[in-house]
Amino acid sequence: MPRNILPRKELRRGAISIFGGLALWELLARLLLENDLLIPPPSSVLRSFWNLAVSGELNQHFAATLFEFVCGFTTACVIGVIIGYFMGRYKRFDEVMDPWIATLYSIPIIAIVPLIIIWFGIGMISKVIVVFKITAVAIILNTAAGIKNLDPVWLELAKSLRLSGWETTYKIRFPGALPYIITGMRLGVGRALLGVIVAELLAANAGLGYLLRDSSETWDSPKLFVTVFLLAAMGLLSFNLIKRLERRLAPWRQSAEWSTE
Amino acid sequence: MNERTDKLISNLLKLGSIIAGLVLWHVLAVYVVNDPTFLVSPVVVVQTAYDMLFVNGELYPHLFASSWIFFYGFVLAIVIGVPLGFIMALSTTVRDYVNPWMSTLYTTPRIAFAPVLLLWFGIGGGAKVAIVFLGCFFPVLINSYYGMRVVNREYVELARSFRLTSRALFMKILLPASVPFILAGIRLSIGRGLTGVAIAEWFGATEGLGFLVFFAGQTLNIPTLFVGVASFAVLGMLGFEIVRRVETYATPWGKQSQGG
Repeated sequence: MPRNILPRKELRRGAISIFGGLALWELLARLLLENDLLIPPPSSVLRSFWNLAVSGELNQHFAATLFEFVCGFTTACVIGVIIGYFMGRYKRFDEVMDPWIATLYSIPIIAIVPLIIIWFGIGMISKVIVVFKITAVAIILNTAAGIKNLDPVWLELAKSLRLSGWETTYKIRFPGALPYIITGMRLGVGRALLGVIVAELLAANAGLGYLLRDSSETWDSPKLFVTVFLLAAMGLLSFNLIKRLERRLAPWRQSAEWSTE
Repeated sequence: MNERTDKLISNLLKLGSIIAGLVLWHVLAVYVVNDPTFLVSPVVVVQTAYDMLFVNGELYPHLFASSWIFFYGFVLAIVIGVPLGFIMALSTTVRDYVNPWMSTLYTTPRIAFAPVLLLWFGIGGGAKVAIVFLGCFFPVLINSYYGMRVVNREYVELARSFRLTSRALFMKILLPASVPFILAGIRLSIGRGLTGVAIAEWFGATEGLGFLVFFAGQTLNIPTLFVGVASFAVLGMLGFEIVRRVETYATPWGKQSQGG
């Protein structure tokens, strides 16, 4: 079973690489640089993490970011799938919507964050809107593509089985488009995470983006690195979660080892 | 005939949608909101864009500053990303050791690195180029890695049966086969690089499109804000289109490689 041996070797090497890198970092930071401000050693980052976690500060910021993210993401999924479905089904509707969706798509999210903050204030709503915009556009485009690219044989099958319109939608069109929808969600996750952090960084009083800004403005490097590590963990986790979901729901789709964002 | 009317209707609908949207925006801005620090009519935005482009030329220094940062970061990403992707594809040992770091860096929201890079490089050009670099680097790296990994087995076997040296195998088979993937990666990296420019210029910049947008937002200068946002969109579409042209030129066999 070479398939079993290979990942273990890979895993071992990965672990060596990560721990070796961290050890090297600790040594270099302690012995050579001795400057906590520039590159804090992993141990002081860990200590800072512990302090933040115990005081409950971390929890509060993490919860704020997560809440904004989940609110925006779920609304975007529901509305995005509905609009995308109609765009895929009805050509005329697609033509009406297309110029605006394309415009929204081509504007870099980061650039419109200041505008959204002016319109919706510095509270949570503006972050939810940012997440919503990013995710919805990705899901709309992918859902529409999925509905359009449905295998016509399936629709003929539905016809010959005398499925009603609702049943065709529910049993044929929706499952057929599901892999595309998941792809849209995957594309949305990474960008939405970036968007929410940027919005919090720009104007907020809670959230990981706020923590990032706060720690960099007070020159608290260990705290800054804690935030960076936490964001890395969040990114890695959400990416792998959705990739696993994708593999389960659409196993026939081959995807790149690291799919591009 | 029928097809032609269909196309006509489709174009009319698109045009109608754009016009209706703009009219709605205008009415909303002038009659409903009526607050220039909140929303301005598209007419004002176009007027401002015209002024900034042709009358006082205010946009050019920003455009120029952003272009340089983008250019350096982008080229650096290609110069480092492509060879590293190749090395990772050809040597599993290197891949196994480098992979954990790369996938962690890749999935972290890039904004997280901005304060750290500023701390290390200062607010000069270095940090900005580094932020753009981080944005462009991963699509290029991943696609050149992937392109070289998925080269058709038959080509490689063919090369073996012709007893090509490994150098010739690389130059004649592996490299050309991965070109479409690399170009797809470069295409993706344009949008990410522009986002990087916007992020980079928020911190301690005095010029650049990102600074323009940020400053306009802080001073509630909505027309300029819209112009800045539109410039980003135009630049993104322009870059995307250029790379697509290069793609059709460089890979005339026209394999639609995957990506985004």
